[in-house]
Amino acid sequence: MKGLLTCFIAVMKTKLAEQMAYRSHFFLSLAMLIAGDLVVPLITLLVYRSGASFPGWTLHEAMLIQAVFTLAKGIAFPFFFGMVGSTLVHVREGTFDLLLLKPRPVLFMSMLSGFDPDDFGRVVSGGVLLAFALSGLPSPAALDWFIFLLLFAASVAVLASFSFIMAALLFRWVGSSRVYDIFDAVTSFGMYPGTIFSKAFQQLFTYVLPIGMIAFVPAQALLGQGEWGTAVMALAAVVFLLLGTVFWHRMLRSYTSAGG
Amino acid sequence: MRSSVIRSMGAVGAATYKEWAAYRSHMAVSLLVGPVYYLVQYFIWQAVYEGRDTLNGLTLDEMLAYFGIAAVIHYLIFDFADWNLQMLVRTGKFVTFAMRPMPHWLFALSQKLGHRTLGFWIEFVPIGLLFLFVFQVDLIPAHPWLAAASIALSFMMNFLVNYCVGLTAFWLVRAEGIRRVILLLKDITAGVFVPLSFFPEAMQKVLFFLPFQFITYVPTRVMLGEYELAGITLSAGEAVLMQLGAVASAWIVMLLVYRLALKRFTGVGV
Repeated sequence: MKGLLTCFIAVMKTKLAEQMAYRSHFFLSLAMLIAGDLVVPLITLLVYRSGASFPGWTLHEAMLIQAVFTLAKGIAFPFFFGMVGSTLVHVREGTFDLLLLKPRPVLFMSMLSGFDPDDFGRVVSGGVLLAFALSGLPSPAALDWFIFLLLFAASVAVLASFSFIMAALLFRWVGSSRVYDIFDAVTSFGMYPGTIFSKAFQQLFTYVLPIGMIAFVPAQALLGQGEWGTAVMALAAVVFLLLGTVFWHRMLRSYTSAGG
Repeated sequence: MRSSVIRSMGAVGAATYKEWAAYRSHMAVSLLVGPVYYLVQYFIWQAVYEGRDTLNGLTLDEMLAYFGIAAVIHYLIFDFADWNLQMLVRTGKFVTFAMRPMPHWLFALSQKLGHRTLGFWIEFVPIGLLFLFVFQVDLIPAHPWLAAASIALSFMMNFLVNYCVGLTAFWLVRAEGIRRVILLLKDITAGVFVPLSFFPEAMQKVLFFLPFQFITYVPTRVMLGEYELAGITLSAGEAVLMQLGAVASAWIVMLLVYRLALKRFTGVGV
């Protein structure tokens, strides 16, 4: 464990130093991430400004879902999603072998090699959105916060699982950067109140492909609609994470390096 | 245009078509992504229109048609000239183009023609049919010839804007950040995420004078049969004429910036 932590700290320092070599680019990228994350909330704002709404949801409640979505990405992206890009490059160039040779678990090394500090910018945009959303809502009780934190951890687990699945696909589907597009499209359902979707889609996004767990379910907890029963739904996220991990290891077997 | 230039453009376009045909699956991902995004929009607007007939002058059917049309137009005009040019400048590979008897912008335009010809078969046709028959989106334009002209002009405008963004690489060391800023602003102000009539009145007046509306908003509204922004209502024909003027102006600006950029370029042996 100590070895893993040392590795992690060393890589974080290196990655930060690497980013600081092009400071203006780093800060511009950070600003871009923040601006990019505010696009969907901007659209929501424009819709509500026009006098329309998502039935049964106030502007601040709808924004809360988008805030939680952005915050979850702010935690999951730096740690897990960089591995998708690094796997894409390593597999295409045949350099993934270098990670296989290292004396640490391959999945861990893959995550480390893709660590991306840029993505912490999403925590800022998520935080700003969360503050705005909560400013128009009754303060959540301590128990609501506790349930929220449990569900938020499940949300990060779902995102981590998505990154494992995407990276795993790249062992066979060499060099396809469009896995990001698939992820963005599929998870875009999670940025809106689950109640606007049909019942079949709601079931699908809760138990089969737990996209609702990314933001909708945790946000419900902050709105005082979460119960211990809701927290049980986090189990779906745990199962999804396990499936993602198993899938990644299975797909790793099909990796053929430059040597065949 | 001289026949030798047309032949060269055809050859570059054909080579790009063949090159990208090797990565068909990459492009075919749109068959999943496009309909999924549309499905999200479908649910959003179904919910938003509950208990109302119109919103900012658009009915639910028109709103769904707006997003369906905007999606299929995207597959016809998609462009990455900005990324390509910035990569060539950053890596120094642009030097090979400085020596060719064809300006790079024409080469890039030819590449786009080849790339989008492939996109027409792999993305536009299947997704168009899916939208038409499965999602029942009314993709039949009110004025077919004007719609075709408007899409052709938006194809050019998207290229010209992206190429100008790519030209910033001649002044900046790492232009990726600025490229992403401009492209995000472009998408917002082009009406990709929401029709421009949703923006506040004062903002609409600004958007009217920006070139970005001619990429998505104008061709989509022309397909729907009428144009309206910032309190200005135009017929489809008038909107296409305005678009023609905007594309001509953008072309002149691009050529001027291109000349300035070439004067700045330094490479091995140049």
